[in-house]
Amino acid sequence: MNVALDRCPDCNATLPEEARYCPACGVPVAPDAPLRRRREEPSPWVQFLDAAWDFFASVRVAVVLIVLIALAAIAGTLVEQEGLYQDWRPPELYYPARYGPLLGRLLMATGLTRTYTSWWFLTLVYLLVISLIVCSLQRLVPLHRALQRPTVEKHLGFLLRQPVQARLPAQGEDPLAPLAETLRRRGYRVWREGKGLHADRGRLGRYGPYVIHIGLIICALAAGAKALPGVDVTHDLWIENGQTVALPGTRLAIRNNRFTMETYPNGMPRLFQTQATLLEDGREVLHHNIEVNKPLVYGPWWGPWEIYQASWREEPGIAHLELVTGDRVLGKVDLDLKSPAREYPVTPEVRVVVERYFHDFELDPATGQPVNRSREIANPVFLLRFVGPDGQELGRQALNVAIQPGVEARSVAEGPYALRQVGISSRWYTGLRARRDLTVPYMYGGLGVVMVGMYITFFIFHRQIWALDLGTEVVLGARTNKDRWGLQQEVRRIARALGGELTVGSGVERSPGSAGAEGAR
Amino acid sequence: MTASHWLLAVAFFSYLAASILYVAGFIGQRRLALAAAGAGGQVTGVGPGSTPAAGGFYLRAPGWAFALATLGTLAHAVGILARWQGAGHWPTANLYEFIGFMSFCSMVAFQVLYRLYRFPVLGALATPVTVALLAYSYVFPREVEPLIPQLRSHWLVLHVSFAALGEGFFAVAFAAALLYLLRTREAEKESRLAGLALESIFWFASTVLTFAVLAYLLRYTLGQEWVIVLDRGVSRYHLPPIIGPAGSAPGQAGSLFGLPLPLVAAPGWIKGKNANTLLFAVALGTPVYYLLRRLLCRGLPFREALARLAQGLDADLLDEISYRAVAIGYPVFTLGALVFAMFWAKVAWGRYWFWDPKETWAFISWLVYSAYLHLRLTRGWEGRVSAWMAVIGFGAVLFTLVGVNLLIVGLHSYAGGDL
Repeated sequence: MNVALDRCPDCNATLPEEARYCPACGVPVAPDAPLRRRREEPSPWVQFLDAAWDFFASVRVAVVLIVLIALAAIAGTLVEQEGLYQDWRPPELYYPARYGPLLGRLLMATGLTRTYTSWWFLTLVYLLVISLIVCSLQRLVPLHRALQRPTVEKHLGFLLRQPVQARLPAQGEDPLAPLAETLRRRGYRVWREGKGLHADRGRLGRYGPYVIHIGLIICALAAGAKALPGVDVTHDLWIENGQTVALPGTRLAIRNNRFTMETYPNGMPRLFQTQATLLEDGREVLHHNIEVNKPLVYGPWWGPWEIYQASWREEPGIAHLELVTGDRVLGKVDLDLKSPAREYPVTPEVRVVVERYFHDFELDPATGQPVNRSREIANPVFLLRFVGPDGQELGRQALNVAIQPGVEARSVAEGPYALRQVGISSRWYTGLRARRDLTVPYMYGGLGVVMVGMYITFFIFHRQIWALDLGTEVVLGARTNKDRWGLQQEVRRIARALGGELTVGSGVERSPGSAGAEGAR
Repeated sequence: MTASHWLLAVAFFSYLAASILYVAGFIGQRRLALAAAGAGGQVTGVGPGSTPAAGGFYLRAPGWAFALATLGTLAHAVGILARWQGAGHWPTANLYEFIGFMSFCSMVAFQVLYRLYRFPVLGALATPVTVALLAYSYVFPREVEPLIPQLRSHWLVLHVSFAALGEGFFAVAFAAALLYLLRTREAEKESRLAGLALESIFWFASTVLTFAVLAYLLRYTLGQEWVIVLDRGVSRYHLPPIIGPAGSAPGQAGSLFGLPLPLVAAPGWIKGKNANTLLFAVALGTPVYYLLRRLLCRGLPFREALARLAQGLDADLLDEISYRAVAIGYPVFTLGALVFAMFWAKVAWGRYWFWDPKETWAFISWLVYSAYLHLRLTRGWEGRVSAWMAVIGFGAVLFTLVGVNLLIVGLHSYAGGDL
């Protein structure tokens, strides 16, 4: 066997002398590792695959990819992203106006206005996913092998290189037996071989990073699946109080029984709530008060429809009017500003007929004809006719309904009758967002795996102890992947119990900086 | 509510006293050690009885400092509970509450790590960072605001508290990594750029502190306010408006020493008020940095003076403490800032991920710490390269918390984006 490297070229862990794989990360380290030994020249294809595999198996490449993704993500936060900017204009109008014509077009062309779905961002992410898979496979198998079949009898030199060491008196027939017993009682798994002993605890901690990686791969695949049709569906619904709207593509419909908004005394909003009823094939199946943070959920756990309180809108709804002649009030009329009826019978003598209605009245500057300026109810104008019981015309009126408080309604009437505005009431719409995202259980599952992996990685410490019976005394060397201080405490206790002493450790081999560590204890 | 303000003041001054004691004790001990080494003596452990009388104060100082820091942490905890009681909601809903909470978390992280390592220098690192954070929280309006519907959720407690706890550990990791960088610095080999980068951390810290003190004085002590009325609304400045909001006219807000206010109006895509604040922070922080350098370091660059103090510290131990802080903070941060954030986003907005600037920056911070954890395992990139990563990571965390709210508009903008 060739002389092995002292330290792993990939992860820098201290290597056992005869190691062919790094026990920490599993990379082949000996020059004659079986993976590398080949009889004949491999084909170009195999060479290419080998090169690609080696590329993705490198931690350096993974770190560079992580940093590149971070930089790309930063770029995406410096430019307003499509769908997140607060403006009604479409991107091709908005960006040139916001950043100037040249820069705006450049940003759109490079994909910086939708960074997180751009090809270059997704390429980096998927390269990292490949790297995660290859790195994990490359290391997991050798690591598992090394942990399951450790070398028990080590050279003395190896023991004397460990960060924590102790010496125990050699007593009795089998000096290693009491040590083995003590270690077993402390939950260690113990091997014996010749004059050597090996024990370890918390092996699971070494598998943690791979658990995290598996979780992250699940998350990445779940996020990627959103691109498939039908996996992630959103419908925005505007529903007036009392109305029912069907959910497109389903047998479901939602009725908004009532939308309420509450405010704090200082005017800040406190509550947005829609009292909703869900209907399936016209049958009522669920009542729920939808609030922000309290969506309505209906359907199987792996892909329910969820309906969120997203927005609300108040628009001028009904104008309340009185029919007057002179100073005498003849009756009341309520004109619907959204879709007024053809005629309103007020008294047996007088009907009000809506000739024409403009919800946002304007005289077209080109033709001089009345038109609607927008789709909003912003400037409602009625052209009315008053009709008697026999159909004879009693008068006419052009009425501009006041929708702002404190503004007088304007009107021009001919004849004895006129409508006089006494009030206006609003029509409330709730803005609901219905979503069904089939990736959610997978994403949450992936996150769960990541968190379990993090617990294993960061809170289960792998402690390894080797001991050699030298005849006159027992030398003990120990190391851990984390929490060297805790290991040292434990070895000290074990050594004292067996009549020995800690010989090497961070408070023993005293340096000025760590002197305080011992003293303060 | 008043009780909470008083308790926080107690906490602040305890932390301040503790950090002064820690730093004084640390420097004193270093001097003694150097003197002893010069006299051929051997420095032994720090413990009662084994100390020369002259150095007794310095040797006992870390003990007192620890007691003070613990007292401050307890007062802070009670203060947070009192504010919870008074406000009727968990007090992490605006920047004042959140940054105060985060400074509390950095003290919790310090207590945890101190229990693991019993390393007094840790106190000299963690308490100044906590003082700086808590001081910075006073820059923001202290009024309790009722919760808007989006924030009325139990996830507010879980998401924000866990994120802040993770960030508290990152703060300690940052401090240890910075000390590691100073300790392992080799002045002869340091390139100009590397030196500037290291020094800029201290410049930045002085700028932030100056600005915090200034803003606090103007807001609470002098009560000065400049009001600029525009068509779109009213802009209230607590610092003289050199840069006015977009659309304001020069001289609209009066003048200061003959200088018309505002002097210029900001272009449309910048928040004029925050640009103005930034201008003041840089303009005043730089002379303060220079002044501190003259007074504290005898004109030497901070990195030079502090590197001398750091000589003799166990670099490996500093590296390990920094790593350990990240190793605890990283899973907690992942849970709070990413996992719980996704759960909440799903419940509140219907999607677990939006690429909103705030969550993107939390993700970026997470990536930086992921890179840090892998760098430490890579030959040639462990040590200083990964220590720099821990420093950069904390920079990303701070930008996530403050920078995003101040500079970038997004879904989280209700968290208080104005100074």
